Amino acid sequence: MEFSRRSFLTAMGLGTAAAVAGCATTSPSGSSAADPTGPVEGDITFLCALFEGSTGKETLEGNLIKKFNEKYPDVNVTVDYTDYGSLNEKITTGLASGLMPDVVTLGVGWIPPFAFKNAIAPLPESLATRYTYEERVLEPSRYDGKLYALPMVLDTRIVAYRKDFFEEAGLTGTPKNWDELRDYAKQLTVKDGGKTTRVGFDPFSIDLRQCWETFLFGNSGELFSPDGREVLFDSPEGVASLQLFLDMMADGSADFALKTEAGQPTTLQQGTSAIMMTNNSLYVQLQQQTPELTDKIGTFVLGNTDPAMLQGGTMVSQSATTKYPAAARAFVEYMGSPDAVLVASEQRGSVPAISDLKDSDYVKGNPMVAFAIDNLGKARSEGGTPAWMEIREKIKPTLETAIVGQQSAQAAIDQLAGIANDAISRL
Amino acid sequence: MAVVSAPRDVSAPPAVPPRSPAPRRRRAGAARRRAGMLMVAPAFLHALIWIGIPVIAAFVLSFTNYDVLTQPRFNGIQNYVDALTDPVFRRGMLNTLVYAFFTVPVAMGIALLIALMLDTQLRARALFRTAVFIPQVTATIAVALVWLWIYDPRNGLLNAVLGFFGIPAQNWLSSTTWAMPSVIAVGIWQGIGLKMLIYLAALQSLPKDVYEAASVDGASKTRQFFSITLPLLKPATFFVFVTSVISAFQAFDLIYILTDGGPANTTTMMTYEIYKSAFREFRVGYACAQSIILFVFLLLLTLANRRLNGGDSGRH
Repeated sequence: MEFSRRSFLTAMGLGTAAAVAGCATTSPSGSSAADPTGPVEGDITFLCALFEGSTGKETLEGNLIKKFNEKYPDVNVTVDYTDYGSLNEKITTGLASGLMPDVVTLGVGWIPPFAFKNAIAPLPESLATRYTYEERVLEPSRYDGKLYALPMVLDTRIVAYRKDFFEEAGLTGTPKNWDELRDYAKQLTVKDGGKTTRVGFDPFSIDLRQCWETFLFGNSGELFSPDGREVLFDSPEGVASLQLFLDMMADGSADFALKTEAGQPTTLQQGTSAIMMTNNSLYVQLQQQTPELTDKIGTFVLGNTDPAMLQGGTMVSQSATTKYPAAARAFVEYMGSPDAVLVASEQRGSVPAISDLKDSDYVKGNPMVAFAIDNLGKARSEGGTPAWMEIREKIKPTLETAIVGQQSAQAAIDQLAGIANDAISRL
Repeated sequence: MAVVSAPRDVSAPPAVPPRSPAPRRRRAGAARRRAGMLMVAPAFLHALIWIGIPVIAAFVLSFTNYDVLTQPRFNGIQNYVDALTDPVFRRGMLNTLVYAFFTVPVAMGIALLIALMLDTQLRARALFRTAVFIPQVTATIAVALVWLWIYDPRNGLLNAVLGFFGIPAQNWLSSTTWAMPSVIAVGIWQGIGLKMLIYLAALQSLPKDVYEAASVDGASKTRQFFSITLPLLKPATFFVFVTSVISAFQAFDLIYILTDGGPANTTTMMTYEIYKSAFREFRVGYACAQSIILFVFLLLLTLANRRLNGGDSGRH
């Protein structure tokens, strides 16, 4: 059967009409903040990046949601599980199809972009004082002075070291600034016939973006201005933070090729690094993989001018377009309560966001989590601009161009600043 | 007296206009057309809904700043300008071309070789065929995870084997020199199976008498391969080439698992940039423009190949 020109054009026209109609009905922009008054009832969806696997599902649905339903029996919660890496895709496809979840978990740095575009609803300020939070912990939950999310779990980037290697090298104490770090790292590096078998310092086993940010903050640098419209990291502090890694690679005390590979114990555990940047969840990994090293690994917070610990984490927020705002609000409040926060933290080895929980058995039994809580006053977060989702994807590959020697640290930071300025100009 | 009338002019009978088909035949023709349309309708609807509409939507959205969080706003050709001037996307285009340039002909060559070997009375042919085809049907994520281990600079199989021969270990996926060749190697390895099957099927359908005649004429096996086999395999080669190029241009999951586009964008591809733009940066309009650019790339390549090969009939 020949497909006539007329029928082809008709099909294209119908398709175009469908596409345009589809675009016109999907975005939440301009919708008013969901009114949380009214009866707490309805079917709500919860996009969750925290509880993974069958154990996580049992914890969330068999325990937490059950307790929630004891108080709010008329709310039916359907959970959409995802992992943190796929959270973006889930949210994007949900928004594009008009199926934004009623309650959603978001990462640190995500609040300004979503709040700027009215995708999430502001929360009452009273929720910020309902429990005790470090002010730094609440910072990423805010945009334009309003609270948009409740922090649940924190994931901090700290420095871990092998006490036995330090002892062998005759080193006492931990480095207090970058000069000392370099000195320690040189002493701790081990080579065998020209080949490095142990680097003094491994900054590359965590995301390069987060590692660089930690050092930027520790060097009194900033990412963006308070209103998120001006790039501040293209400063001498920003360049110096990246240059430090290059200098350490040049003197052999760090190696870009020597980092933790997917699915393997960390370089610290394998003995191929003496000091490394890591996450507080390392303690759980130690207990599972190398319990004999648990007492041999210590932690410290490093800074050049100010000790700084990068604080990532996951927050819970309410959609601005939910049909059941009262139910969604009640669920957000519940997931931000100590019961839910403690359980979520325990199953991931994360830091509970509520300071009241520092005396819990979980925190007392996890030295790295306890360490992170004790140092929350030094915590700094990434993000701070509505253009963050676009900028953050470009940071690692741009910094890597300097790490692999394609360009200087200054050129890489300048390039990144250009990218960030372009993204901000499109707001 | 008999009247002799003038002889009648015996001429050809007047032209009779063709009789239109009988109403019964006309109804039968219309019925066949309707039946044909009904049979094609499901596939046509499927193509329209799942391919046609998304393609049109992508084209329309590529002229907007759509970010799924707000209503799309028309911004002309800005997305195309941004994409074509973005050094990272341009790097992705180059990497995609390099990847396709190496994976397609190499995999096709190896696949043809294996197909030729399997097109003989080889024992356990089925076993070899299965072994070669298994990577094609294995989930790419599983393939990539295994290769991550093979490429591990400290504990990986490849460096261990190289070390046995005294060759120094390499940082395969962290090196700007070796990352792309490492990804290409996996792409070739995984893509051989299907190509081999297509070539094998084509080889088994070639006429035997041509070879017999060539043998009688004294043509060697090599001569027969180049003068008979290869030309007769042109339709299959065209099909394998087009599908391989499209597949190479759509390489995504290998990059996602093996290198995340790094180090320093040395292995990023157009598809990976499109994914990042849409799903990580929320720049869906921009991602649509990148997709259209990719589409144009593939269209031009397909047309060029068709022209060079005289289409799938092998005619010039």
